[in-house]
Amino acid sequence: MAKRPLLGLFDSADRAADAGDALKKAGIAETDYDFLTDAPYPEGAFGERAEHHRLYIYPMIGAVLGLTSGVMLTSMTQMAFPMVQGGKPILALPPMAVICYEGTMLGAILFTIFGILFESRLPAGKLGLYDTRITQGFIGVLVHCEDAEHGKVSGILSSAGAVEVKWENARAATA
Amino acid sequence: MASHAHAAEHEQGHSHYPADMWVFPQSEKVAPDLVGRTVAAAPRFKMWMLIAGVLAVVGIIGFIARAATDGFDEYGPWGYYMAVFSYLFMITGAAPLVGLAFRFTKSHWRRPLSRVSELFGLLGVVNVLLFIPLLFVLPPLANPQVDHGELAVRRTLWIAGPWGAPQLWDLLGVVALAVMGLVILWLSAVPDLAGAKLAATGWRRKLYTMLACRWCGAKRQWHIQKAGLALLGGFYFMTLIFVQFLIATDYGMSLVPGWKDSIFPPLYTVISFQSSLATILIIMFILRRWGGYQEYIGVSLFWSASKILLGLTLLWTYHLWAFFITFWYGRMPVEQNILKYFLFESYGAVFAANVVFSFLLPFVSILLWNRFRKTDWGPALAGCFILVGTLAFNIRIFVGSFNAGDVYALALERVPPPVYPDLWDIFIVVGCIGLAAFVYLAAMRVFPVLSIWEVKEGALYQRMERFMKGRYLVLAKPE
Repeated sequence: MAKRPLLGLFDSADRAADAGDALKKAGIAETDYDFLTDAPYPEGAFGERAEHHRLYIYPMIGAVLGLTSGVMLTSMTQMAFPMVQGGKPILALPPMAVICYEGTMLGAILFTIFGILFESRLPAGKLGLYDTRITQGFIGVLVHCEDAEHGKVSGILSSAGAVEVKWENARAATA
Repeated sequence: MASHAHAAEHEQGHSHYPADMWVFPQSEKVAPDLVGRTVAAAPRFKMWMLIAGVLAVVGIIGFIARAATDGFDEYGPWGYYMAVFSYLFMITGAAPLVGLAFRFTKSHWRRPLSRVSELFGLLGVVNVLLFIPLLFVLPPLANPQVDHGELAVRRTLWIAGPWGAPQLWDLLGVVALAVMGLVILWLSAVPDLAGAKLAATGWRRKLYTMLACRWCGAKRQWHIQKAGLALLGGFYFMTLIFVQFLIATDYGMSLVPGWKDSIFPPLYTVISFQSSLATILIIMFILRRWGGYQEYIGVSLFWSASKILLGLTLLWTYHLWAFFITFWYGRMPVEQNILKYFLFESYGAVFAANVVFSFLLPFVSILLWNRFRKTDWGPALAGCFILVGTLAFNIRIFVGSFNAGDVYALALERVPPPVYPDLWDIFIVVGCIGLAAFVYLAAMRVFPVLSIWEVKEGALYQRMERFMKGRYLVLAKPE
């Protein structure tokens, strides 16, 4: 059965962290809930799982591609139109380095920008379950669970001090 | 009564610093307050925008007049245009790095200046536009008509002449900086815009909704945002110094026959860092004094940043000295002519102004003294001096380079006379600065001028606490 989201809204970060603990105790997988905040909280402040991403791979791929392009462009140009300047070799590394460096940078930059968009899933297709009060300092605890668990999860969030629990179809339970 | 107050102070402890050294904004009020200020501009702000806009129009008139009278075939008449482009590029190109560098080093005092610094990313577009005419005036690498004693190919970085050199590679660098500046601004502002769109109306609401890209503030998004800003910050730095190296060599040294100097590009970069930090301190001072941001900008920001400015000012002196002493000891005729041209004869007065404003006035009268560094006006005043000095630097170097004579000659065999600005040059210099100011002021009407999420994050980590008999700043450093 498909999981559907449920959002608990908290006016205190401590209560949101308590909700996280309670969800963990109730056997909800850590990958099934997330904390939505208006400012970055320190890693582990809510007792949440460590987030992993692959953003660092993107610039490396871009840099390798950019460097390869730079090497090919400079060496092939110089081989195609050999010009001896001041007794310097046809394939002189210092002038090649200028183009290669720029190519490396351009590749790394483009791939980093692409990586940021892809890894953060921005722009998102749709916002999903959200409450605008999160931008005013409330903490959202977003839980993905099966319909059968909605009642239990809603109870956990309310017990932890949620001021409101929302789920899709605009149904809401206010504490 | 007095003993009662004394008892209260004893109870709470006391601080040796002024009350406004550190500020502690209330987290829940930050967003509505800062978004409200962005949306509602004071009449005085609009007046400054109008003035900057009028100056920009004056600059456009100057540019058209210069193009109509001199065309793009000769590069000499464009010396002042190059000088003001370089002046703006130095300041606006390095300015985003100020916020990024202090974020990188996790300096908490930087929080109010991050957005002020990142807003300069928008000026990268202005830099690209201003740079385009300079692509056309740069003389070709190959000498079109080799006369006796001239070089067939002028001395530049591009001895192997890769395709498109140097214009294409210079332009790509300037464009890369502009693109990165915009992405850095967007990435940093996206959480603020997601919140601001709720309070905004009309075109702002549409723009904020589009730029917010349905940001929801999940842990993963914050994680990627921070990592992305760190990565782009590193690449921005690596690209900036490279592009500055290209500008300094292609539009400076390579146009002066026989000028070969390894110190000049680093000197260019140091001046760029110095003047960009100076500009940001001036803006922070204006925001604090007249913009109503006192409760967000403490004096500690100026105190901390002024120490960096002090270091950069000393580095400027060191590089200038290294540049001078190498040529002075070299004693070759071309080296002596270059010194006479840029430092002591043709542009001697401009060089004197450069030294006075870039070093003597800011260093000796302000930055040297802790008492002045610990104020908001001291570092800002030093910044004003530095901006004048930086303009003098760009005039003597680039007006000089663009008017140094035969670019295909082996060496600078005589000392050329100085070139003074005509009316169109003055229009261009004033207008380009006005254009940059106009775009920056317009950006302040679109984006919150302080980074809301960073200020809020800072509020989580900082407070004044009592320790023994005193009160001290307690700072959490979770990273």
